[in-house]
Amino acid sequence: MTWLVRGLGWLDAQVNTGTRKLARRSSRRGFLGQVSTLVLGAGLLPLLPVSRSFGAEGMEEIGDPQSCDYWRYCALGGSLCTCCGGSVNTCPPGAEPSPITWVGTCRNPADDQDYLISYNDCCGKPFCQRCECHRTERDKPVYFPSKSNDVLWCFGTESRSYHCTVALVLGKAE
Amino acid sequence: MKPLLTALLLVASSAVVASPRTSYLLHCAGCHLPDGRGAPPAVPTLRDTLGQLVQTPQGRDYLVRVPGASQAPISDGELAAVINYTLLEFNRDTLPLQFKPLAEEEVARARPNILADPLMYRRQLWPEY
Repeated sequence: MTWLVRGLGWLDAQVNTGTRKLARRSSRRGFLGQVSTLVLGAGLLPLLPVSRSFGAEGMEEIGDPQSCDYWRYCALGGSLCTCCGGSVNTCPPGAEPSPITWVGTCRNPADDQDYLISYNDCCGKPFCQRCECHRTERDKPVYFPSKSNDVLWCFGTESRSYHCTVALVLGKAE
Repeated sequence: MKPLLTALLLVASSAVVASPRTSYLLHCAGCHLPDGRGAPPAVPTLRDTLGQLVQTPQGRDYLVRVPGASQAPISDGELAAVINYTLLEFNRDTLPLQFKPLAEEEVARARPNILADPLMYRRQLWPEY
């Protein structure tokens, strides 16, 4: 039994020394900073562009992305993700971008060029009722579903619950 | 005067014809995605799978008659161009050596022949898909 007590004492001393050395080498603030970076970083992942590999962002733009009049929303029917914690091309945290979508064209007033706009719905959260828009340039009735903004585009997502819509630029329409 | 008017109309109409890539992005990419990979099984992939279809008349017709293609709001010429774009852009390695691109006339002939049950037809035509 003595050997057990002695062993535990040795282990206790080792752990004690180790934690003291660690405390001397690193600050609590540094540790907390690293943990918070990790947590924040994980939280920011859903904000990454929903279709970075195909997007063609970077052109000159004017206007307010939180307004229905913003040029990219010329055929958007739904709620703007820019008013719901997301951006013009990223879903709000916790919402899942639908890969299936519909594509239209809008004219950018900054360069007077037509661009292909992909309207991706963000899904999996309750409907965000801020900034509801209904613009219908080149939109077709629901009997033409592939060109209708009245269709709920939460396909290929875990949840069919519609939250809001983003507007990605796929490129120039030429 | 008439030939001049016709020429002007031709020039005007050709000016608004979209490139095959734009047609693809506008009319196909919403479901099949910009790189053609789709979202199987709901949305079939268009990558590296269509080469064998173009080897038979039925297969070539199917590419035109499938609803997403035949009902796209584009002309027969534009549809031929966008199908050829899909074949050459996403399926180049699977195409036969003597690949013959689809012609506008071929599209015009097959397009009105509506597929009443596209899925059933595909299973019969292309069981291995």
